[in-house]
Amino acid sequence: MKKMPKRYVGKNIFKVDAQDKVTGKAQYSDDIYFDDMLYLKIKRATYPHAYLRRIDISKAQKIPGVVKIITAADIPEVKNFGLIIKDQPVLIGIGRKMRYMGDALAIVIAESKEIASKAVKLIEVEVEKLEVISDPLRAMEKDAPLIHQDSNILATHYLEKGDVKKGFTQADVIVENEYKTSFLDQVPLQIEAGIGVFDPETEIIKLWAATQWLHDTQADVAQSLGLPKEKIRIIQPVIGGAFGKKEDISVHIHLALAAIATKRPVKFSYTREESMIAQSKRHPFIIQMKTGVTKKGYLTACQVEVIGDTGAYASSGLAVVHKGMYHCTGPYNVDNVKGVAHTVYTNNTYCGAMRGFGATQMAFAYESQMDILSHKLEIDPVQFRLQNAYNHGSSTPNGQILTHSVGVKETIKEAADMTGWKEGR
Amino acid sequence: MKKQGRGMATIMFGFGYGEGFPDHSIASVEIEDSGKILIRTAAADVGQGVLTVITQIAAEVLKVKPEIIRIIPGDTHLTKSSGSTSATRQTFFTGNAVKEASEGLLSNIYHYASIEFRSNHVELEIKDGYIFRNDNPNYRLSYWELADKVKERGDSLKAEASFFPHTDKPDPKTGQGEKLYVAYTFVTQIVDVEVDTDTGVVEILNVYTAADIGKAINPKNVEGQIEGGTVQGIGMALMEEQVIKEGITLNPNLTGYLIPTSMDTPRFVTRLVENEDSEGPFGAKGIGEPATIATTPAIANAIYDAIGVRIYHLPITPEKILKALKEKRKNK
Amino acid sequence: MSKLTIGFIINGQKKIIETTPFTRLLDLIRDDLHLTGTKEGCGKGECGACTVIMNGELVASCLILALQADGAVITTIEGIGSGGHLDPIQKAFVETGAVQCGFCTPGMILAAKKLLEENPYPTEEEIKRGISGNLCRCTGYQKIFDAIKLAANRLSTRDGGRGEKDA
Repeated sequence: MKKMPKRYVGKNIFKVDAQDKVTGKAQYSDDIYFDDMLYLKIKRATYPHAYLRRIDISKAQKIPGVVKIITAADIPEVKNFGLIIKDQPVLIGIGRKMRYMGDALAIVIAESKEIASKAVKLIEVEVEKLEVISDPLRAMEKDAPLIHQDSNILATHYLEKGDVKKGFTQADVIVENEYKTSFLDQVPLQIEAGIGVFDPETEIIKLWAATQWLHDTQADVAQSLGLPKEKIRIIQPVIGGAFGKKEDISVHIHLALAAIATKRPVKFSYTREESMIAQSKRHPFIIQMKTGVTKKGYLTACQVEVIGDTGAYASSGLAVVHKGMYHCTGPYNVDNVKGVAHTVYTNNTYCGAMRGFGATQMAFAYESQMDILSHKLEIDPVQFRLQNAYNHGSSTPNGQILTHSVGVKETIKEAADMTGWKEGR
Repeated sequence: MKKQGRGMATIMFGFGYGEGFPDHSIASVEIEDSGKILIRTAAADVGQGVLTVITQIAAEVLKVKPEIIRIIPGDTHLTKSSGSTSATRQTFFTGNAVKEASEGLLSNIYHYASIEFRSNHVELEIKDGYIFRNDNPNYRLSYWELADKVKERGDSLKAEASFFPHTDKPDPKTGQGEKLYVAYTFVTQIVDVEVDTDTGVVEILNVYTAADIGKAINPKNVEGQIEGGTVQGIGMALMEEQVIKEGITLNPNLTGYLIPTSMDTPRFVTRLVENEDSEGPFGAKGIGEPATIATTPAIANAIYDAIGVRIYHLPITPEKILKALKEKRKNK
Repeated sequence: MSKLTIGFIINGQKKIIETTPFTRLLDLIRDDLHLTGTKEGCGKGECGACTVIMNGELVASCLILALQADGAVITTIEGIGSGGHLDPIQKAFVETGAVQCGFCTPGMILAAKKLLEENPYPTEEEIKRGISGNLCRCTGYQKIFDAIKLAANRLSTRDGGRGEKDA
């Protein structure tokens, strides 16, 4: 069906924000300055898994230019935060646990970045060390110490369609392999940064800090501080890339607390090191995948077990790991599917959203399987994919019938055509 | 020795939050006093270009030049929720919300213009921000002149709309559901690599991409998503790993954690499959995440094609390749 | 902390300013002069976001002390283009889609400027090498190569050079 020609849709209109970005005028969080502005730094965990027994800020407090140091004892009413479940503390209190190296122990506010950094180094901490659980398989063992109150297995999700046993009996070739992916950092070029200002008249806290979801970040900050949502106003500066990393709270709550405590504008900019250690990662997956296919090259069954290391806190982990599993067949018709996905706490840096949200890790497994099978069957990989690919009316691993926009076969044909695949192979 | 190989991967990505989550986006469009048309949205532009996309959509619907469109800077107190810039959802969700709000505004322009011109709707025509009667194109009102007249009547020229598609919560025992995700994007990539069997270094030569995105609102920006996503996929396949041992990150910097540089960029050839058959604005689907997904497996498959070894644990570093080649030789 | 006075020319303007022996050039440019187009992406000279041109050379301003700028001539992104008009390189970045999040863009444009000053007719391989010290996470670099090629073409045409070469 040919659509009406359009004037602007489908055209290469220049990016509306490009002019500001090529001239350096675009204002990112860290580019905003106020008179009388203070700087914030965080004292972070000294061990990946430990009880905090003592924190001594007296030496740090004595440095000229240190305006305020906030510890958990100063904010007993502040609540945990988190994207899906609220399991992440704003500051670790005495007798409470640090669960990864990014956990915050104290907020230092000073007249300059240098003074704040110097003061952070002078904060003394005593901890009672616990077993560090860095391997999700260890975390899943019965005798492993609990990282949070309940099981280290934060969630288990299931997938079942058709009869996978029957599917494998129909198969002439079965391939089973284990795939592993690594912790990745999203590395947006812009590091986390922001400014907090408390307006004494309206008692509104204004935050200039990037977030991928303004109103959700606002809600999380507000519930953590026990304030009505409208008392937190977040103004979105220009954002220097995200790729999932700016979904989670970073500078926001610490800045709000500092602004309330000092009644002065406060700026907080992470270092790259801090960003890598303290903010979310792509989940490393361990994927066990078994795929069955007939001699003629039709997929009959797919069975998958996924273990996703979500690190110390849940973040988006509750959604990422099973979304990966839900994509286990790729865009191919498979009548019989079975899967289980575990999201597991460890003492590693917490994992959250990154471009592809679990489906990226899973594609490494299913498309490797497709390649292995096409070699075993000696079927051309293009042909093998074409004959299994979705049509209108196909059903996904979740049993969703695809009624709109199923162009997968065309992508295969177009890609093959671009390379001159037939002659090339 | 340098050996070349070719690998492919085809992927799907169900986008939007889906799974019964109340995923939606709210936008409004209004005639501003300043001679502009204002879009209120909280959609975060992290560089991908949603602000450009909605500018094009509003300009298309309202028949004005894109320069006329102004978008309010994101602010919790001046906008309503547009949901997150994630899940490949902004073009689809906020694109639809802005399209519908623009259509709502356009309807109001017709409604009030028909009062001003004492005319029925079929006699009216709109061009470049002006509305007039077909039989008298010399007497015309700009949107802004019309807005003033509407104000005198105690109303204003604006419209708010939202896009709030239904999805189903999956059955907890089986993951089954009628509609888990609003739509799926599909991508096929074919990648040519060259592997140096002495050093284990892999060079990505060519990346051929075909992406079913329904309709590209801005083809160059879609290409930009595909190229950027692909290079991130090259990073995931060949070099990126935050090494965390006993809870401690050993490489928390960009010297220890390598991401692709300009030297890693392959030759790109990209085609867009545009059937304009999705429920997105003008038939568009999202491309943000799917742009990165096919690259890593396509590279892994190309490396196998080149040297006959398969690495199951990412990233596929030179050390792993050399080790696998050594084992392969031993087993011969 | 002992204060020191230094003088330099930045974007054609003479500046005399007090600084400390520990202040980085990057902080002087951003915090004192509020020329915030120069970005900090790593603080270790790894990413190129803080690139400026000092005495004709590309430098990572996070690795240089403010004191080293005494007597220097510095160009930041704010010094590219004039009177509201974009430089041909900036214009090409806009037109080719070379800008996504924009955080690497100022450093990238300065690297491109330096490259084209030294080599007005670079090949794609030379462009790749010329900007290899500047990381971009969004674009995959291709559209940045396209921008530099387009700018090179236009600059050489304007100068009566070999503009048609790549056309």
